[in-house]
Amino acid sequence: MIHGINLPAIRFKVLMFDTLSVPALFAVAMQSRNPRHTMASAAAHSTAFEELALPLLPSLYNHAFWLTRNHAEAEDLVQETFSKALRAFGSFRPNTNFKAWIFRILRNTFLTSRTGIATSRTVFLEDHPDVLDTTDASPTPEDNLIRLDNQAALHAALEQLQPQLREALLLCDVEEVKYKDIALILDVPIGTVMSRISRARRTLRQLLQPQFGEIQ
Amino acid sequence: MTQIIEHLNPETLNAFIDDELQASEQQGVQQHLAGCHQCTLRVLSATQHKAATARAGHRFAPPADALARLTAQLHREPQRTARIHSIRPIAWTALAAALVLAISLIGWRQVHQSNALSAELLDQHLATLSSAATPQVISTDRHTVKPWFQGRLPFSFNLPDSGALPPDATLKGADLAYLNGQPAALLLFTIHKHQVSVFVVQRTGISDNPAFSRIANNRAGFSIHYATTRDLRFIAVSDVNPADLDLLVSAVVKAQSPG
Repeated sequence: MIHGINLPAIRFKVLMFDTLSVPALFAVAMQSRNPRHTMASAAAHSTAFEELALPLLPSLYNHAFWLTRNHAEAEDLVQETFSKALRAFGSFRPNTNFKAWIFRILRNTFLTSRTGIATSRTVFLEDHPDVLDTTDASPTPEDNLIRLDNQAALHAALEQLQPQLREALLLCDVEEVKYKDIALILDVPIGTVMSRISRARRTLRQLLQPQFGEIQ
Repeated sequence: MTQIIEHLNPETLNAFIDDELQASEQQGVQQHLAGCHQCTLRVLSATQHKAATARAGHRFAPPADALARLTAQLHREPQRTARIHSIRPIAWTALAAALVLAISLIGWRQVHQSNALSAELLDQHLATLSSAATPQVISTDRHTVKPWFQGRLPFSFNLPDSGALPPDATLKGADLAYLNGQPAALLLFTIHKHQVSVFVVQRTGISDNPAFSRIANNRAGFSIHYATTRDLRFIAVSDVNPADLDLLVSAVVKAQSPG
């Protein structure tokens, strides 16, 4: 029913532990042989990277802030992401999803930070297949009456969401990333992505439910 | 093509609003929705939640100094690997890029908001088309419809007399709606059997969202026309002839200054 994952997740594994992939290492090795050629190609390489990365800066920063909850840490996270991504840019395949690729690096960089390590220690029940959503997660007509105009309530509800649910929901609703690419970014099966999004939406509705009735 | 007879399950509903279904599945869902008011309401509610989450999630922009540093970093990175540029041109280019980015950041947010808003308008209009959708107030009498909004909206507006409406245009009723997080009056008209939704929102100070003025004039075959008075904004959605839609919008606007 849902589109499957076409890209091999394995190629991103390299980035998690060492941002210099095989093609990038090859490029570095070639640099010592022909400096003039390498300088020109490195400049073209970084220009291509900049053209792809610059438009994503606002999105990366917004997402980094949601992960770190701190301006200084968000800036550091984006900065480190750019550094790692540029070094690994040789392993990026043209015509594949650059946004998913760089968000994946952002997330892996976050997970190796102090805040990220603390967050990743939390285990969520919904990721275990035995207890996947069994209740109806779809909205009822009464949900139409929830006051979506109340931005403060929405912000508060988003902040109360478990970080892993919020992350999946933000990638889907804010960044408009497809399920298969969210699966790549989060390094989880597509079924887990769907489960997290479903659970995040249900929790948000429950958190906003006390607003019910105020418009009467 | 897959014909869905049972009500949409949560998984299908989420995949539908996230545009994750294959074309044949999507067609099956649309066929089901055409005849199922209950599922149409669920889809509308879920779409509104999604749009509201998108708005609330676009929350953190980099401060100007952080934006300049990050933009400069993108320009400086080749320096580390190639070492062929002097720092001064890089600094100027970085500054220019930061400015361009700051402007495009504003543009990006506005375009995103406008697209989301026109989708929201169309969703709400489509929900009113379902044969089972009953307006909260059903009346062709403006003296019934207008007072119904008292206490439900933080503003007031006038409705044109039936004689002032364009030929073959009739007021059918009204709903209370929310548009881009603002309370709105949703006035339901028909013109030559085409249904028309006219949204009325307040236009004061900071709540006058600039995204409203950038809504596309048509979306998915429906015309979207809008007009403003000093205090109010009117947005009309319909598949009727655009000229007839304009006449109706003009009549509603004219009613705001009866003198």
